[in-house]
Amino acid sequence: MIKAKNVNFYYNDFHALKNIGMEIAANTITAFIGPSGCGKSTFLRLFNRMNDLIDGTRLTGTCLLRGKDIYDKSVDIDRLRKNVGMVFQKPNPFPKSIFENVAYGLRVNNMGDKKYIAQRVEESLIASALWDEVKDKLKKSAFELSGGQQQRLCIARALAVSPDVLLMDEPASALDPISTSKIEELIHTLKEDYTIVIVTHNMQQAARISDKTGFFMLGELIEFSDTKKMFLNPEKQETQNYITGRFG
Amino acid sequence: MKHTEKEMQSLREDINQMWKLVISQLEKAKQSFLKGDFELAREIVSREKRVDAFELKIDSDCENYIALYNPVAVDLRLVLSLIKISSTLERIGDFAEGIARHVIDDDCNKLSPELIEELLIEKMFDTVISMLTDGFVALESENTKISGKTMAKDELVDEIYHNALNILTDFLQKNPACIRCGLKMMLLIRKLERIGDRCINIVEEIVFYIDAKVLKHSGKNKP
Amino acid sequence: MNNHKKRSERIAFMLFRTLGLLVVLILFWILGFIVYHGIGAISWEFLTTGPADGMTSGGIFPAIVGTLCLVAGSILFAFPLGVMSAVYTNEYAGNSWVVRFVRVMTNNLSSIPSIVFGLFGMALFVRALGFGDSILAGSLTLGLLVLPLVIRTTEEALKAVPYSYRTGSLALGATKLQTIRRIILPAALPNITTGLILSIGRISGETAPILFTVAAYFLPKLPNSIFDQVMALPYHLYVIATSGTDVEASRPVAYGTALTLILIVLLMNLLAAFLRKYFGKNVKHN
Repeated sequence: MIKAKNVNFYYNDFHALKNIGMEIAANTITAFIGPSGCGKSTFLRLFNRMNDLIDGTRLTGTCLLRGKDIYDKSVDIDRLRKNVGMVFQKPNPFPKSIFENVAYGLRVNNMGDKKYIAQRVEESLIASALWDEVKDKLKKSAFELSGGQQQRLCIARALAVSPDVLLMDEPASALDPISTSKIEELIHTLKEDYTIVIVTHNMQQAARISDKTGFFMLGELIEFSDTKKMFLNPEKQETQNYITGRFG
Repeated sequence: MKHTEKEMQSLREDINQMWKLVISQLEKAKQSFLKGDFELAREIVSREKRVDAFELKIDSDCENYIALYNPVAVDLRLVLSLIKISSTLERIGDFAEGIARHVIDDDCNKLSPELIEELLIEKMFDTVISMLTDGFVALESENTKISGKTMAKDELVDEIYHNALNILTDFLQKNPACIRCGLKMMLLIRKLERIGDRCINIVEEIVFYIDAKVLKHSGKNKP
Repeated sequence: MNNHKKRSERIAFMLFRTLGLLVVLILFWILGFIVYHGIGAISWEFLTTGPADGMTSGGIFPAIVGTLCLVAGSILFAFPLGVMSAVYTNEYAGNSWVVRFVRVMTNNLSSIPSIVFGLFGMALFVRALGFGDSILAGSLTLGLLVLPLVIRTTEEALKAVPYSYRTGSLALGATKLQTIRRIILPAALPNITTGLILSIGRISGETAPILFTVAAYFLPKLPNSIFDQVMALPYHLYVIATSGTDVEASRPVAYGTALTLILIVLLMNLLAAFLRKYFGKNVKHN
């Protein structure tokens, strides 16, 4: 589904990603772990070109989505971002009603009429395990929801436009353990229909939910392997040190 | 159900299957011994590989479970017990295979059926099989009430074992020609006695998992 | 040591409280003074008729209408322009030196004395563009005057919108324009409305910019088009208080006019506050 080859990325003079190559299969959950500032979030944001919003960045190498270079000049960025959804660290619902939050992506992408939108909103809220909690208050402001519900709303919002890939940037780091567990459960069920890439500070979270794990350090991809292997028998000493907490 | 719970569920299903397999191995060992059924004994030997495979699978699943899900409290106790139970079951499987090989190695003068009866070997078989079944039921129902009964059964097994030693000693003093067969019989009885001890280990593990009590080496064999 | 700290804390606190109360006191004194002198002059007739007897009696209706016209005209001009340029500098232009230069110039613009705007308005709108002394010329001049204020408050309002709304919207495949129109402007609206309140207050009270561009000394009839002259409350107040036919005789009218002006500003502020609350219903940032 996703393929990165010889990716180098710079913030002005800072070499943030060093020669990274990776392949991510469809319908899998891939987790990126590593210390702060290791480049894992930067790498994640390459896939929906969110790094483009930052001035003074530069990329070399290729990022392919379904075999197509997403940094090709002919690529329509808005369309790319529709196909590669993203969920952020802090829940960021829009100052709108619950319904409008989920409908937003459909509206801005001109996807379907009123009836279709209502149907997609319901489907997305069901898929994000939020429907039962909000079905009676769709017109209420999204800010009335709890943090965990807001984050699931943001996931529903991303699902509504039917993306191929779902990028998640520490989606549970601002939530309490129970909300976190709900989100993790949700991510696990979403795997059936989406390819999910998740950045997390929480190694146990990566272990619990992912199929494959990539360990980043200082802009390098130190190790990328099956999560089981990574947490039972990592190949590299650095990985071992990090996941056992003997880092530095 | 959460996906971690599902993993745990499949782990338990594996151990249940292994358990049933080992019970059936023991039952077949009993049949083949009492009837001198070579075919059945060979089947046991060939099925022993499946028991070993189960042990390997459960071991690696438990390792993964601990590495990936960081179980704590009751989950941690369960995984730890499952590791030990699976290796104990594998040992019991080995004993069953040993009994089967005993049947196959037909290299001594048969002891008379009367003597076998006097040694209470059939009773010993039945008792250890029921002990093993007790453990299975206890884990399945998450209930340790049965453990007291299991301990009592082990005492019965030990008693039979000691009596058998005396009976065999008497017998061999009178029939030195049978000494090889008598010794082999003693080894077989010894195996059954060991199976009883292993079953007690399993019950202890289940008590550790469910009641979080350590019975091992505590001296008192009643919870 | 501790005692000393506590004492200086108490003294500072007393000082701040006294000064704060003093400000409030002065404000109430001014208001009270105007209300005390002006309340007698205000009547239904005062508000709905034109001036009479050389402006020593009669009402101020034309001036009220004139001021309302000017406020409406200048807001119509300055508000869209100001909001759009703020959106440009804040959302599109990035942080180049051009934007910084524009920002500095905007701030400079707001510190230019209002009489200079009046002269500029006369030169450009009245003379060069040939609008004559008219509502149009006056509104444009007043509009220019409040433009920096509108731009600055709008920029602040836009900056207060969390960046995560922008990334959230863009990540869903929305274009920049869609993001601004559907997310950012609605979210910033309450704060932009605050800017509007300030602008209205500023406009309705300004005298200098309308002096040469629109205000009539005495014009009892109401305007027919945007090319007509009008009377305006602040200028009317200035006239009857300084150069009327009989300054002493028109004192009560002057206070009445001042009170009316204050009331109009107050009313507009209330309206704007109501609007702000209305728009802000869904827009609590968390």
